Amino acid sequence: MKWLELFTVAGATLLSAVTVVVLYALGVRLTAIAGDIRNSPASWTRPLAYACFAVCGVAVLFGLYLIIPYFHK
Amino acid sequence: MVALVISLALFFDFTNGFHDTANAMATPIATGAIKPKTAVALAAVLNLVGAFLSTEVAKTVSGGIIKEGTDGVQITPDIIFAGLMGAILWNMITWLKGLPSSSSHALFGGLIGAAIAGIGIHSINFESLMQKVILPAVFAPIIAGGVAYLCTRLAYALTSRHDPETGDKLTQKRGGFRTGQIFTSSLVALAHGTNDAQKTMGIITLVLISAGTQPAGSDPQWWVITACALAIAIGTYAGGWRIIRTMGSGLTEVKPAQGFAAEASTASAILASSHLGFALSTTQVASGSVIGSGMGRRGTTVRWGTAGRIAIGWLFTLPAAGIVGALTAMLVQTGVIGVVIAAVAGTAAVAYMFVHSRKSHVGHHNAVQIEEVGQAVQFRKKKSLAKAIKNGSAKR
Repeated sequence: MKWLELFTVAGATLLSAVTVVVLYALGVRLTAIAGDIRNSPASWTRPLAYACFAVCGVAVLFGLYLIIPYFHK
Repeated sequence: MVALVISLALFFDFTNGFHDTANAMATPIATGAIKPKTAVALAAVLNLVGAFLSTEVAKTVSGGIIKEGTDGVQITPDIIFAGLMGAILWNMITWLKGLPSSSSHALFGGLIGAAIAGIGIHSINFESLMQKVILPAVFAPIIAGGVAYLCTRLAYALTSRHDPETGDKLTQKRGGFRTGQIFTSSLVALAHGTNDAQKTMGIITLVLISAGTQPAGSDPQWWVITACALAIAIGTYAGGWRIIRTMGSGLTEVKPAQGFAAEASTASAILASSHLGFALSTTQVASGSVIGSGMGRRGTTVRWGTAGRIAIGWLFTLPAAGIVGALTAMLVQTGVIGVVIAAVAGTAAVAYMFVHSRKSHVGHHNAVQIEEVGQAVQFRKKKSLAKAIKNGSAKR
């Protein structure tokens, strides 16, 4: 049985999904803070939110790289 | 016979497409991230593109579950015909019941049944069966469900906003997750196209090789690639709305952050499994993710009755498809008349199920009830919000 492969897959799934979700959630939260009008938000929140989304974008590109066989042969 | 097998393989590809639309598109439809019809169209296009991206054909039909090859048994078009029949009928039955179930496991089941009836029990590699079908079926939902549970908890913890002084809940503004859902579900759809259309291409190419019309070890011909790509795309566009309903609202209610967490887990699990050497079924991963994310969000319940029905469906996938495959294989062995009887009976069964399905029509209009259709990706701009508040205070 390929237990090692099974654990690798489980670990990789956990790591990548948690990374993407945490970054995206941070992005959503920072966007929300930047959109607040009552207590004026710090100026760095919006750029940081965009940075989070950008890293998620990179993750999507990496997904594309994995899906399309042309890139990794 | 070759023509019959090819048309059956293409029909299997079609059922595969509509059976698996739900894996990618059920949650974005349920949260209103994408409108139902747009979602299936997007999935169809991505499946079409995916089918053209990856045309490398596997060396064996069954991936080693049946002892194929030079020192094993010869899989004849008869066996493939019987296997496909079992897989298609099982796909149709599960669709009618709205159960997400793995199309490739149905195909394995049909082939195994056909091989046992047509060749004998010695043709099955049980260790490979254990490793490629049974263990993944147990672990796919556990891995995906666990990861999705954790991701959902994290997503909600990170975006929950309270007023620092009063401790009141602020507006949470989690709508942004809908935008993310479009990307994650698209990845799932594309990955599906590259994997599953390729299986049918492999079957057709191996049949053509065994019929002697194509040299062994050659790539699929352009018309095979095109036909498979179109079959899976049309199937996807037809949309298995019954299964979308089950996945999108039958198992649990899905909210944007939760849907995003579920899909991120699905996409990660599929990509990890296809590149790290332990194949997991897309359907089982996606169902596990939805259940896990439902457990992770507070204030929602998972309908375990539905989950149980799905699990029973998975349990029956191999034996049920296998029995149909075995019966068909026995019929086919009797000669031309048997083939005709099998083909007619199969067509009649599919037609009956289709007619039966019309009695309670489930389509894009009623698959999932959504509260806020069309608000998908619109954020209220700061200015207009400020204006709204100013107006509000002016009135007061």
